[in-house]
Amino acid sequence: MANVRLLDIKKSFATLQVLHGISLDIQSGEFISLLGASGCGKTTLLRIVAGLESVSSGGVEIDGRSVTNLPPEKRDIAMMFQSYALLPHLSVYENVRFPLRMRHIGSRDEQDAHVKAALETVQLGHLAERRPRQLSGGQQQRVALARAIVSKPKVLLLDEPLSNLDARLREDMQVELIEIHKRLGLTTLFVTHDQEEALSLSDRIVLLNAGRIEQQGTPDDIYARPATGFASNFIGSANLVPAQIIDTPGGPAGKLADGQLLPLPASETTRGEANLALRQEDIALAAVNTDGTLKADLRTRVFLGARNRYVLSLAGTTIRALTANDVLIEDGAPVRISIAPERIRVIKG
Amino acid sequence: MVRAVPTPLRILAIVFVILTGLILLAPLIVVVGVSVSENQFIAFPPQGFSFKWYEKVLASPEYLSAGATSLQIALLVTLSATVIGGAAAIALHRRQLPFSDILATFFLSPLVLPTIIYAIGMLMFWSAAFGPVSTFTLWIGHTVIALPYVVRTTLAVLAESDPFLEEAARTMGAGRIQRLFHVVVPQCIPGLAAGAFFAFNISFDEAVLSLFLRKPGLTTLPVQIYGQLEFSPDPSVAAVSSIMIALTIVLIVIIDRMLGLSRFAST
Repeated sequence: MANVRLLDIKKSFATLQVLHGISLDIQSGEFISLLGASGCGKTTLLRIVAGLESVSSGGVEIDGRSVTNLPPEKRDIAMMFQSYALLPHLSVYENVRFPLRMRHIGSRDEQDAHVKAALETVQLGHLAERRPRQLSGGQQQRVALARAIVSKPKVLLLDEPLSNLDARLREDMQVELIEIHKRLGLTTLFVTHDQEEALSLSDRIVLLNAGRIEQQGTPDDIYARPATGFASNFIGSANLVPAQIIDTPGGPAGKLADGQLLPLPASETTRGEANLALRQEDIALAAVNTDGTLKADLRTRVFLGARNRYVLSLAGTTIRALTANDVLIEDGAPVRISIAPERIRVIKG
Repeated sequence: MVRAVPTPLRILAIVFVILTGLILLAPLIVVVGVSVSENQFIAFPPQGFSFKWYEKVLASPEYLSAGATSLQIALLVTLSATVIGGAAAIALHRRQLPFSDILATFFLSPLVLPTIIYAIGMLMFWSAAFGPVSTFTLWIGHTVIALPYVVRTTLAVLAESDPFLEEAARTMGAGRIQRLFHVVVPQCIPGLAAGAFFAFNISFDEAVLSLFLRKPGLTTLPVQIYGQLEFSPDPSVAAVSSIMIALTIVLIVIIDRMLGLSRFAST
């Protein structure tokens, strides 16, 4: 366990700058997600913490000691790769023992105990003698996780470890990661492009966009109060609808491009041009015209099993709505939508 | 859907495959046939059946000494070509050397350079620089010829390996030397084994360079066979050739089992 400090890290590949000064304080035992779309620099940042990539400027500190110029093998870290990177010529047991061997941790008997404990943690004790190729993707993933935690590293780095698993296994592994993190309390940096994963696993989410920190905060915080249009769109995939915020007799409201008025909470202070962030799950659909509802055009309905996703056109902007599947509207029918004012976030600019 | 191959074309293909197989096998069948003939001359089909030519070969000091020379050189070449070729392939694969592409082509050049030209050059160079040729000369010469095969097979294996394995090993605390012996070399083993097999066979079969560098006490088996054919041809030549064929088959079986095993082990 250790705290990690990133000090104004900048990174360029040739003429392309991928990180524009990232500073971050990570508390000992904290689980942090680096969340962002592909190309945002999140994996580069993780590789810099691992020492696999050098910085152009800035530095990395682990437990107050600068490791900026230390190669990965000299840093007390462990990293789990997207491809798992298991050594194909070694058994599961030897793969998990590898970091202990390389770092000369413990006697042979102690190593044996550590390896067995790590394999038990990921419930793979019975497959110790298998080769990686003889395992399923989910099992290989568990071996990689066991190998990453066996040496009790100061910092655990996870590079999209769940992205190659199918949906069901991914949910299982999420639970497992949460439990292992609770038990071992390892300082963990988790790279993902999946907002749900970040929301369910992290103590804190760091949202990256084009090499800069867009927003950071607890999952609750970042979900409830996205600071920017990018954040609200990326987390919770909110719809962004441009509007003019004006005062009406009933309080502030958003005037959409087609003149329809969307009531906002009385506490809203922004006026003028803004974007309204409307979460998919907050949009209620109705077939009949009632007070306070807006007119929209139904374009497509996507059946998702437990829910329906409707693609609508609202004042010329395409928006999506997620509803329980008891709401059923025929294609091409007129649609009315409504949103509770307190669920709407106004994002300036 | 893939359209079915028309029957006439299919028959043509089968005939072609059988013909190719026959042409590949026919010389071997003739050689083995002649080697068990009772006839004094090299003639096919063989007359009678006897192992007397094998007995003659195994009792001949010339054949035995040439065989020992060949085996010794082939084993030395297998060792040197595998070590040098493997190291070269690893270095080329990483592309950390300046002019990697040019170097890669250079390492393969013995494949395209006519052996006879290389042999003349080697003889002239060695005589001028170091004086009389020796086993050492032949060892170096064969190593050069065998090198491209090891480089090729090892590069092929490396090209299919997971590029993140070494990085993963670094994050697990493995330094440069540890990574080489625990990660890189184990990955190369199928390629090194195949390359070693080629190196051994190429050295063991090589006649042109061996002929140029021949001197008393430095005669390899192919050179001995050639001399025998030239001056006193009899079926003993076929017998010794059959022994070489058998040796190659045994080697292939061993390598296949080893490769099969190591592939099983590495995947």
